[in-house]
Amino acid sequence: MALPPREFAGLVLHLARRELAATHEGTFIGWAWPVFRQLAQLGVLVFVFGSVLDLGIENFAVFVFTGLIAWTWFASGVTAATSSVIANRHLVFQPRLPTIVLPLVAIAVPFVDVLFALPIVIGMLVVTGELSWQIATWPAIMLLQFVLMAGIAWITASTSVYARDIPGLVSVVLTMLFYLTPVFYGLRAVPDEYEWVLNLNPLTTLVTAYRAVMVGEPGPSMSLVGALTLVSIAVAYAGWRIFRRLERGLVDHL
Amino acid sequence: MSERLVFDGVSKIYPPWEMHQRSLKHLIPRMLSHRSRPEPRYALRDVSFSLGSGQMAGLIGANGAGKSTLLRLASGVARPTHGRIRLSPNTASVLTLGDLFDFKLSGRDNAITAAIAAGVPRRRAIEQVGEAAAFAEIEEFIDAPLRTYSDGMRLRLAFGVLTQLDPDVLLLDEVLAVGDLRFQQRCMDFVTERRRRGTTVVVASHSLEQVVQECDRAVWLHRGEVRGVGPAESVVAAYRRAAKEETARRTDPSKLPDGLLEAGVNRYGSFEIVIEGVELIGRDATPVTDIVTGDSLEVRMRLRRTAPEGAKHPIVGVTIVRADDGVVCYDTSTESNGVHVGSADDGRTLRLVFDRLDLLPGAYHVDVGVYEPNWEYAYDYHWQAYPLRVTGASPDSGVFRPPHRWVAD
Repeated sequence: MALPPREFAGLVLHLARRELAATHEGTFIGWAWPVFRQLAQLGVLVFVFGSVLDLGIENFAVFVFTGLIAWTWFASGVTAATSSVIANRHLVFQPRLPTIVLPLVAIAVPFVDVLFALPIVIGMLVVTGELSWQIATWPAIMLLQFVLMAGIAWITASTSVYARDIPGLVSVVLTMLFYLTPVFYGLRAVPDEYEWVLNLNPLTTLVTAYRAVMVGEPGPSMSLVGALTLVSIAVAYAGWRIFRRLERGLVDHL
Repeated sequence: MSERLVFDGVSKIYPPWEMHQRSLKHLIPRMLSHRSRPEPRYALRDVSFSLGSGQMAGLIGANGAGKSTLLRLASGVARPTHGRIRLSPNTASVLTLGDLFDFKLSGRDNAITAAIAAGVPRRRAIEQVGEAAAFAEIEEFIDAPLRTYSDGMRLRLAFGVLTQLDPDVLLLDEVLAVGDLRFQQRCMDFVTERRRRGTTVVVASHSLEQVVQECDRAVWLHRGEVRGVGPAESVVAAYRRAAKEETARRTDPSKLPDGLLEAGVNRYGSFEIVIEGVELIGRDATPVTDIVTGDSLEVRMRLRRTAPEGAKHPIVGVTIVRADDGVVCYDTSTESNGVHVGSADDGRTLRLVFDRLDLLPGAYHVDVGVYEPNWEYAYDYHWQAYPLRVTGASPDSGVFRPPHRWVAD
């Protein structure tokens, strides 16, 4: 089972590529779909919270988009990962294939959307004149988000096999979390007495950090970043252990 | 000869709850109380055997006997509840290779993914995809989407991928029974070649003939327990004996639906499916009891299901036996001829047509039978119930008289 890291990463990438090819096969706009999907959601959010209920945020489109990219990756990645073991029964039954890669594949697939959105964001930042060298730290935040997502994905993917309620539960939690994450609003608009509630959500710190390096919003405090790092690593470690533990019985329950 | 696959007192218990109970509503009470647990289901119980390198074992037994569970444990994806299994990490299994296929993607993409899933490094999988396609004889279709493939082509592709692997243990599930005969032979040649290089092979098979011919060992599973393990021929013989006893045990004269035959005398079986209206049809399309050497003959019968469920996909067999000495002159079955008798054939007439029957003059019986899909027992077997007299002027001796002539050069 112990695959060298390069092989392991290659396996994740291959399976992700395969899934993407299968998703876009037979569609007319193919690879433009991820971009289209995000721009459509962005358009609605900008219309509603930029014009209908004006939140008074400068350069609202790019402000929302920076948060939306991170949120979309998180939500679609965790959703797909949760059912990644159940849905890929056939892969689980391959003796030589480490099942633990499946949740990672599910996270890697929507990461492509991020890659497609990135040039658009940079283009927008150039237009608004907000582009700064700080964007170079963006990959580090992505890595942190990936570690957090991997941990969550391993936990939800493996437990789902035993309790089929988990995917439903995950979707409810994600729906709630969308509003509890400052995607279409800023942390500044939140009354001080409720800020701690939002800060319990690790995505709050992530989104704030993205905005800090991209649009120059005030960033999260160092203690929050430190806490996020610790939490992400702890969740990833726990996820790995839980998956390894539950892995043995997976095929009996599929 | 080193031991490659060892099962030592292996039991496998599946969780007793059913699929629809796998939600929190059922899970939480179950965690809290240990009392109301239903009986565990033993899929395998105390199974022991060992296979050395280069050996090929046939796995026989009815559906539900535990063959799939055994293969799954042998592949390492599932773990035993009790006992120990020694297996090689380098195990390839064709059972599941074809399941990986995504119909939307091309044959090439699928072959590469299957190879990678089977442990081939990506680069090598891409390089070797041509060889897999060549073995499968689908080179010109390799870039077409898999949905355009026939079942046979998909199977050939899966086997083509398998030929790229060099496993210590190879697990096969009935695959050799599918595809045309020539392809089956090539698969068999491949398996033989790998065995010569030391690969241990386990094949789950419904075909007892195949097990006797191809395997040197056999493992007979019955309801999760090993009934026999050892040389293929003796295990299969024991299996056949047990099938005969099982048929006798299930023969119940009170269930007999036909007056012409007498259960326990010339008719045996469980009568879940019965054979009715057996007729031997001669050259002039009328029922006969006498034919001339070289005439055509048709064995006509009707199958009828009496059991409300189960008894699907039976095997139908016909045997011609010489009356004097019981010599089996000819024996054939839908299974050995690759003919599927589906449950949809209920009430339909089944005909076995001999264009020429070159039996020498003498007295014969035509025995007909319909069997459980694994030859576990007979549903209905008519023994020595249909006499056939072959007449003719041939003074030759032996069993049959092929068309022939003498030529002096």
